[in-house]
Amino acid sequence: MRLAYAFARRELRTGLRGFGIFLACLALGVAAIAAVGSVRASIEAGLSREGAALLGGDAEIEFTYRFATDEERAWMDAQAVAVSEIVDFRSLAVADVDGVTERGLTQVKAVDSAYPLIGAVELDPPLPLDAALGDFGAVMERVLADRMGLRVGDTFRLGTQDLTLSAILVTEPDSAAGGFALGPRTIVLKSALEEAGLIAPGTLFSTKYRLALPDGADLAALQVEAEDRFATSGLRWTDARNGAPGITEFVDRLGAFLILVGLSGLAVGGVGVSAAVRSYLASKTSVIATLKTLGASRDTIFLTYFIQIGILTVIGLALGLILGAALPLLFAPIIEARLPVPAAFGIYPGPLAEAAVYGALAALIFTLWPLARAEEIRPAALFRDALSSGRLLPAGRYLVATLVLAAALVGAAAWFSQTLFLTLWTAGGIVGALVVLALSSILIRFAAKRLAATRAARGRTALRLALGAIGGPREEAASVVLSLGLGLSVLAAVGQIDGNLRNAIAGELPDVAPSYFFVDIQSNQLPGFMERLETDPEVSRIDSAPMLRGIITQINGRPAAEVAGDHWVLEGDRGVTYSTEIPGNTRVTEGTWWEADYTGPPQISFAAEEAEEMGLSLGDEMTINILGRDITGTITSFRAVDFSNAGIGFILSMNPGALAGAPHTHIATVYASEEAEAPILRDLASQFPNITAIRVRDAIDRVADLLGGLAAATSYGASATLVTGFLVLIGAAAAGQRARTYEAAILKTLGASRASILRSFAWRSAILGLGAGLVALVAGALGGWAVATYIFETGYVFIWDNALAIIAAGIVTTLVAGLAFALGPLSARPAQVLRNRE
Amino acid sequence: MSDPVLSLTDVALSLHGNAGMVDILHGITLDVHAGETLAMVGPSGSGKSSLLMLMGGLERATGGKITALGRDLGPMSEDALARFRREHMGVVFQSFHLIPTMTALENVAVPLELAGARDAFDRAEAELEAVGLGHRMGHFPAQMSGGEQQRVALARAAAPRPKLLLADEPTGNLDGTNGTAITDLLFGLQERHGATLILVTHSPDLAARCSRVVSLRDGQIVPDAVLEAAQ
Repeated sequence: MRLAYAFARRELRTGLRGFGIFLACLALGVAAIAAVGSVRASIEAGLSREGAALLGGDAEIEFTYRFATDEERAWMDAQAVAVSEIVDFRSLAVADVDGVTERGLTQVKAVDSAYPLIGAVELDPPLPLDAALGDFGAVMERVLADRMGLRVGDTFRLGTQDLTLSAILVTEPDSAAGGFALGPRTIVLKSALEEAGLIAPGTLFSTKYRLALPDGADLAALQVEAEDRFATSGLRWTDARNGAPGITEFVDRLGAFLILVGLSGLAVGGVGVSAAVRSYLASKTSVIATLKTLGASRDTIFLTYFIQIGILTVIGLALGLILGAALPLLFAPIIEARLPVPAAFGIYPGPLAEAAVYGALAALIFTLWPLARAEEIRPAALFRDALSSGRLLPAGRYLVATLVLAAALVGAAAWFSQTLFLTLWTAGGIVGALVVLALSSILIRFAAKRLAATRAARGRTALRLALGAIGGPREEAASVVLSLGLGLSVLAAVGQIDGNLRNAIAGELPDVAPSYFFVDIQSNQLPGFMERLETDPEVSRIDSAPMLRGIITQINGRPAAEVAGDHWVLEGDRGVTYSTEIPGNTRVTEGTWWEADYTGPPQISFAAEEAEEMGLSLGDEMTINILGRDITGTITSFRAVDFSNAGIGFILSMNPGALAGAPHTHIATVYASEEAEAPILRDLASQFPNITAIRVRDAIDRVADLLGGLAAATSYGASATLVTGFLVLIGAAAAGQRARTYEAAILKTLGASRASILRSFAWRSAILGLGAGLVALVAGALGGWAVATYIFETGYVFIWDNALAIIAAGIVTTLVAGLAFALGPLSARPAQVLRNRE
Repeated sequence: MSDPVLSLTDVALSLHGNAGMVDILHGITLDVHAGETLAMVGPSGSGKSSLLMLMGGLERATGGKITALGRDLGPMSEDALARFRREHMGVVFQSFHLIPTMTALENVAVPLELAGARDAFDRAEAELEAVGLGHRMGHFPAQMSGGEQQRVALARAAAPRPKLLLADEPTGNLDGTNGTAITDLLFGLQERHGATLILVTHSPDLAARCSRVVSLRDGQIVPDAVLEAAQ
């Protein structure tokens, strides 16, 4: 070991010359992961630091569709220094502007005088909130005011209540805790809405009680106490330890996903690292053979170069970590301006350590094989070329070590990201893509070799030379296809998935989806509501159903989470309906539906797919908390429910008798021509001011925007992979420069002009780029098809503009990298080159 | 006569080339005795260098048996051969094969370091002094002339006091003056340390200084009678 270290140190005397690509590939891969991780940690730290402000209090207790009971409120008052009550619901803001009635969906926050407990609401003009909300005043976000043509001082309605827009809402301190909202925010005093007819038993609203706690209050203990004391009340607790759980989870998941995308960049970088090590060791063949002649053992040789590569890896990791830590700090002002949540930018050891682990493992995996080859160089290499062992694979111990390291990398990724399933898919995808790309490069070489020999290539010297070079024994094809292919494959897959989702959302869905969702229809309003629609010839279909919200609390007498884990159906409250008949858009797959006149104990019909995921069987007992009351029923049937067409679909349906007496409203979907949408809204909103209409096209646009953001974030990650691929290409082009110079010298000697030699080089690059692009496109399209078909179930169409962009990117990238190194070979004088070769 | 330090019996070597298997050597039987100086001569492609590689365990014979200092080289692993070389053999190449990133002193010290000698650098210094390069110890190969590089290579080969000294055209890349100086040094070292010297050469003068000359043609040793007839 000591000797190997001494040899390694002497070998590195020439400095880092020739290791530029090695260091760049490793540093870039590590930097991308470290930067993503650092931004994620900064956001999480910001969320944690500002937890109380984001939440609007030290703790929050939320109920769905009801206010706190006297007992609950008394407990809160006993614990807290101050309590603020907030009611959150969707509604339509209506305004008569210049003789035209404008309507806009808004997320209303009805507050008390204690709001906000922490932080301040910023208004334009700058007024104190209580002044703005007093005397039936209200504030709303500028986007809604502009859309409705409202100016400060104008009047608008919520339900039946007239309100004055006293200011524009610029920021609310607790906006991040609100989660996904379909409409912009309006804030009003709760007392101002008492006569508006909007908050009635059974309507869709939630209440949030923000608690300002005494200093030193034990949040965890209070949570346990609240949840124990009101175990079956449907109470949901959030506190300043994680003030915006939805955002934290989103940031966490997106960060984990982007880091996994970053790993594909590291894999491409690994290809470059591997090529750089191979090239370096090839230049050291005579040194290794000499050392062996002088008596160095295989272990000494391996260790000598392992230590050298190890030192370089440490330098590459350090560069990557410095870059990855510094970039978020440098761009902090820009990133912060675009984030809807606070971020505490700084240097976080956790994500840097994570990136270092990935980088070190990737470097080991990709350098072990070439290093293993080093010890196989035999001393006789000093006497003649081509004395390699000819073995395709290195010795068994290196194969085992590589497998162990790869498993460690996947294990580390799964541990860090906490998403085993996604990690395994990503790892499988990367390995699969590398194998497919390697096989494709063999195929491209084979095809080029055959094409070079065809009649078609005769007379086209530049093309024939290019095909011959690609089909020759050098590793250019493999290097280009591997380095470029993975980044392009990810980009192609993202493009195909994004395009198909957009098609599905913008194209197919509105054709089958309803025009409007109407919620909060009171039972006594339903006949009038139906009459307006049934007499309209432009309305093709109306579906309505009673709508309650409930939380599944127990299955067979045990807490539901114990039985079904963290299934999404158990997260928060779900819609519950009742029906005498089987709804038209569902069918019973197992069990039997209750008789129309059934009046016995409660029966439940559950969505079949979700039931299977949750491990439910017919006969299971399920307890649902609806408006604070527990209803326990027996599952007597499973139904196939189609959620894909945005129609009414309930996971849970019960026999009418089970829910009799529970206050509830109705939900309706209306299918109408686009031209009829505006009059329908106008008439229904005027007649029933408390009813909220959600235009499906608007909701779809919001979802499309969110998905667009996700696709863009993924594309940035994939672009980092592409940049790494470009670096690898530059490395390959630089490594091949000597051979190209020699080739050019011979061609010039034989009478080739510089233009024809340049054409040949350009052909070679373009053909390889085209090949890499095509392979990536096939891989990306396959990935896109699989995701679209099996995960989103949207059906698949080939997205042509993305496909052409991928192929163009392949060609342009290889051309730039290839031609950047063409000048040297073209300008070299043949006599000099050929003499040096002697 | 004493037991041979090197004994080859019906040795053959075939290698994979682009055009398939190529027979490089066949039916080589030869004994070399302690203290002998042996020159291997013959036209290019006759198999001289390949035979030297087999003798040094740098290449494995595909047939026959090679015994060096009583040890059969055939069954020895690559690492065992490497150990055997560092303990008993010194090799000099036509192209010197000094390690470019190491100074003259470090190059000479390498085999001693590999053998675990604590005084590797002291001995290396003495060896360089002995070949007249005491003033060049800190120089890298690229900073030295061809003759100087070959003297460093000689010092490196001689440093572990090998019983067998193998040289592949040691003066092939040098001019007349430097070639003579290297030849003198080589034989001086051989004499001083009592080593057995086997060299491959195209130079009749160098061959003439050896106690025995073996001629190869088409991968075989040419019998003396044939050689005499040819002369």
